Amino acid sequence: MEVSLMSEQEQITRIRVQYTKGPSLRFTGHLDLQRLWERLLRRSALPVRYSRGFHPRARLNLASALPLGFVSEAELLDFWMDEPLPVDEINNRLSATAPPGMTIKSVRFVDLQEDALQSQMTASEFEVSFFDPQEKEALQKKVRILLAEDKVLRTRRKKIYDLRPLILALQAVTLADGEVGLQMRLSAEPGATGRPDEVLNALDYQATDYLVQRTRLILSDE
Amino acid sequence: MTMPKSTTLWRRVERILPSVVKPGRYVGGELNQTVKPWESVQTHVALVFPDIYDLGQSNLGIALLYDILNQRDDVAAERAFSPWTDMEQAMRKADIPLFSLENKRPLADFDIIGVSLPYETLYTNFINILDLAQIPIYSKARNKNHPLVIAGGQAAYNPEPVAPFVDAFVIGEGEEVILDIVNVHQAWQQSSKDRQDLLAHLAEVPGIYVPSFYSVNYHGDGTVESVTPTHPSASFPVDKRLMTKLPLPLTHFLVPNIEVVQERVSVEIMRGCTRGCRFCHAGMVNRPSRERPVDEILATLKTGLDQTGYEEVSLLSLSSSDYTNIIPLIEGLREMLVERQVNITLPSLRIESFTEDLMAVLQSLSPGGGFTLAPEAGTERLRNIINKPLSDEELMETVRSIYQHGWNSIKLYFMIGHPQETLEDVDAIAELCKAVLQEGRNIVGSRARVHAGISTFIPKPHTPFQWAPFDDLESNEQKIALLHEGMRGAKIKMTWNDPTASLLEAWLSRGDRRMAEVIYHAWKNGARFDAWSDKFNLEYWKTAFEQTGIDPDFYSHRPRNLDETLPWDHINTGVRKAYLLRDYEWSQEGKVRPDCRGQCYSCGILSTFNELRLLAPDGGWKCP
Repeated sequence: MEVSLMSEQEQITRIRVQYTKGPSLRFTGHLDLQRLWERLLRRSALPVRYSRGFHPRARLNLASALPLGFVSEAELLDFWMDEPLPVDEINNRLSATAPPGMTIKSVRFVDLQEDALQSQMTASEFEVSFFDPQEKEALQKKVRILLAEDKVLRTRRKKIYDLRPLILALQAVTLADGEVGLQMRLSAEPGATGRPDEVLNALDYQATDYLVQRTRLILSDE
Repeated sequence: MTMPKSTTLWRRVERILPSVVKPGRYVGGELNQTVKPWESVQTHVALVFPDIYDLGQSNLGIALLYDILNQRDDVAAERAFSPWTDMEQAMRKADIPLFSLENKRPLADFDIIGVSLPYETLYTNFINILDLAQIPIYSKARNKNHPLVIAGGQAAYNPEPVAPFVDAFVIGEGEEVILDIVNVHQAWQQSSKDRQDLLAHLAEVPGIYVPSFYSVNYHGDGTVESVTPTHPSASFPVDKRLMTKLPLPLTHFLVPNIEVVQERVSVEIMRGCTRGCRFCHAGMVNRPSRERPVDEILATLKTGLDQTGYEEVSLLSLSSSDYTNIIPLIEGLREMLVERQVNITLPSLRIESFTEDLMAVLQSLSPGGGFTLAPEAGTERLRNIINKPLSDEELMETVRSIYQHGWNSIKLYFMIGHPQETLEDVDAIAELCKAVLQEGRNIVGSRARVHAGISTFIPKPHTPFQWAPFDDLESNEQKIALLHEGMRGAKIKMTWNDPTASLLEAWLSRGDRRMAEVIYHAWKNGARFDAWSDKFNLEYWKTAFEQTGIDPDFYSHRPRNLDETLPWDHINTGVRKAYLLRDYEWSQEGKVRPDCRGQCYSCGILSTFNELRLLAPDGGWKCP
């Protein structure tokens, strides 16, 4: 009994997927994304590891919730399988059944002992583009003024917090399409996560003024 | 990052999306959707379900037509739904017309707009959609540059209340006729004549009703004198379209990216019903009964589950336990469901056709949970009148068996307001519920639960009760109060629907062509989402009746004369009016009409569709 359990344990693999969340998935919230992944894994027919019990669920772990309306080039997810398969095959099977707007960028094995993805998160990087053209100098000036503050006190869900230390980097840039936008790196430590919409609001922009793309998730081992 | 280089319309939509609730309703982009390059097809069809995405996306009818149309290389079918009120406001403010989810094109760019009307409380949403699409609401105001507006669905069996808004109705089953419509439209485009020619060609297609080709005359007392065809292409009566054999089921299911009402693989196992409950619109208009083979159902569910990753399957029919091979079907499903850890829902089980075997297999598949039964009336006398005969002993036996097989909770559906109902019949509902609970306590102890769901009877067109009046509101309230009193202290959960919402349904389902003005005014007054209890407002409608000078009671509360021309008489469901009348008379004598699989009572289906019957596979129709 003991022996067979051991060998079953040895077969278990943990897989980390990097994927995109495109425009048609912009408004798929965190819980819906979790369900979307459960169904994607079912369709892939990979030997996904399920929880035991009456309503077994695929064991999966999303790195960091992406605010509604954002797109992303670099989301991360871990899931577990009961038996190993080559990464190429895993990638192919996921890609074949991913919904429009989702591209599987990479698949790799990670150590079973690693912490949960959420607790490995340290920072996220974002790129912001605006619906109305922006003047680069003026935008940069707004950014400088914000960054010069000691404290940027904001209220979210009836709690006051300081946004300033969560902004690790912020600058006006010329984006790939030639338009002026923003780049930022925000803290994503557990309990200290900066939100781009809060930064943009501090810069006097409303949700209907811009689109945000997450470009990178930074984990503690990077 | 670059902004999506899409249409300017879409760019304007994207700007308002962050300001509305659940914007995922408006973006499309689901797994298994079909997006064809706009210029690559000849005919563009927008399929519309006039309620929000969350509801409409679960509608199997729309999904089927979407699939059938998109299988054709020369046709693109796209989807559109009602925007929720916040989105409607934002769209009107920004002058954004209603658009399709696939190519994000304004609905006015489409050749054909196909609207699903499964129930009457969607009517204001339907005309709101036309208005949001910037298409004239009245058919007569449209010209050849406007899309053809067609409508179909269960409510369309009485098309008159929305006749002025619709260019052509599909009466009956839509799977074949939708392709005929496309063909007629394509031929008409080539000849590029006027809109009247298009309508004339459509009127020649079996199952198509072009309301502008008929005039309605009224008697002095307001009743219909006659409905007369005014165009050589207009047939009289208009026979419904019927599929001789159930078409292949849908296997191409869209998987929404946000949560919707029903997320499951649904397959229709049987169409039509042989029981003949006298209140049941679906049971009358969807005759004859046709069953889908077990292997076809199993293959569909497998493909559907593979393609979607869903966790639930649903077997649809009007009376699942009457499906001949229900046990082999469930047995065949068992392995698939257990292996994939998938749940099953099996609605519409009939008490008397319920076997111990069926209960045992069901319990093994979905242990726990609740069990639903629909006795519909509290006494045997009244159950005979509505032709859902069942003795109290039979009911209690089934109840006992349900509790014994391991269920703890039973939901019982009843209607109040049946013809010839007395207060004793209503009181008996409470007594029956209490008896069921007691039975449960004897078997499973304090875990036993009973839930009574009470709805209001609406006399529907094309049923034996079409002549009966709708119960008045005072009487309705009295009956609900009586039920409360009867169940007091009994620990029975009781839910009931708003009788005024049923009243609206009575007006709309029993209306004639003049009702269109009322609908239009109610919409103008602000009526939207009448099917939503928190949006429905009777005042909009009362005002609309005043504005139009139309008496609402004339439609809801007046017993119709047996020799009266009913507003929907020119629509032929295949079931003869004389048959319905005879059945109505039988109901008044308390006489039961048994299930017609054993004996044909010549309802009219076989004589109307004799030729189709000859083409049907052996045993395909359940008519004897």
